[in-house]
Amino acid sequence: MSKASIEAYARALFEIAEAEGHIDTVENELFHVARAFESNEQLRSTLTDATIPADRRQNIVDQLLGGKASNTTTQLVSLVVGSGRSKDLPAIIDTLVKRASSEKELEVAEVRSAVELSADQQKRLAAALTKATGKQVNLKVVVDPAVIGGLVATVGDEVIDDTVRTRLEQLKSRI
Amino acid sequence: MIIRAITLFAAEDHTVTHNWLLPETAEIIYGGLASLLVFGLLYKFAGPLAKKALAARSERIQKELDGAAQARSSSEIDAAEIRKTLGDIASERSRLLAEADVQAAALIVDGRNRIASEIADLEAKAAADLVAARGRGAEELRSEISLLASLAVPTVVQATLTDQTKQDLIEEFISSVGAKR
Repeated sequence: MSKASIEAYARALFEIAEAEGHIDTVENELFHVARAFESNEQLRSTLTDATIPADRRQNIVDQLLGGKASNTTTQLVSLVVGSGRSKDLPAIIDTLVKRASSEKELEVAEVRSAVELSADQQKRLAAALTKATGKQVNLKVVVDPAVIGGLVATVGDEVIDDTVRTRLEQLKSRI
Repeated sequence: MIIRAITLFAAEDHTVTHNWLLPETAEIIYGGLASLLVFGLLYKFAGPLAKKALAARSERIQKELDGAAQARSSSEIDAAEIRKTLGDIASERSRLLAEADVQAAALIVDGRNRIASEIADLEAKAAADLVAARGRGAEELRSEISLLASLAVPTVVQATLTDQTKQDLIEEFISSVGAKR
């Protein structure tokens, strides 16, 4: 799928979410759906399997998100899956999130942590990242056990990595 | 006269001789004359032939003598040549033997040197192989230890990483990022 198509889908989803009046919630939920899609091989292969009828794949989305995410989020994901663009779902959502953030003059700060961050930690972390990068950030925390411990933050092109995983990799390469 | 003589002879008794040893005079005369005639004819006609045959025989014998002399001379030359050749062969044999001795001695020296050099090379190679094998063994051991360590460290770290430590790491990250700029 071309970049222009991704942009077009992202814009359409953004406008729908904005029209529904809860863009912040939808944008946040979509972000987590995209990360789940990326990390879950089974989910990815099921939603991108062209041999499974589109309505069945949409049913799967409804079952997975129903009751856990807002209706708008579920319907938007279902829309993308039904149109056969599941493979590009993360790219479409990331573009949407960037667009939503830039509307508020924020930079998306994706933070990966081995454990959930408390609200206080997220607040202090957002402030610290704003101070470090000089940009107001839209913090997105992804729980990723693979980092083992510590955090890695990606703000635009800048990556601040202080995870146990990276330290172990450095140690391994030194060994 | 001849007829008279014949008549005389015919008139005589031919079975009786005048002497028990000598023939009749006329017989001696006629016999003598006949002998002279025969010898004269032989001398005149057979003499030159005999002389010629003798001369030819002499010439042939002379030729044979000359040929024999020439053959002898040639044989003597050949004999001298053979003797000379024999001498040369003996000299060549001595020279070849001496040369072979020199070459054999050189070969022995060369062979000894080569063997000594090969032994030295083999010893050096064996020593190098030994050092390399030692190095390889140490390297393999080091690599094995590194591999085991790299496999064990994440497991050990994950097993010993408590929730409190994880929270401490998060706080440390926030503090360090906030301290930037």
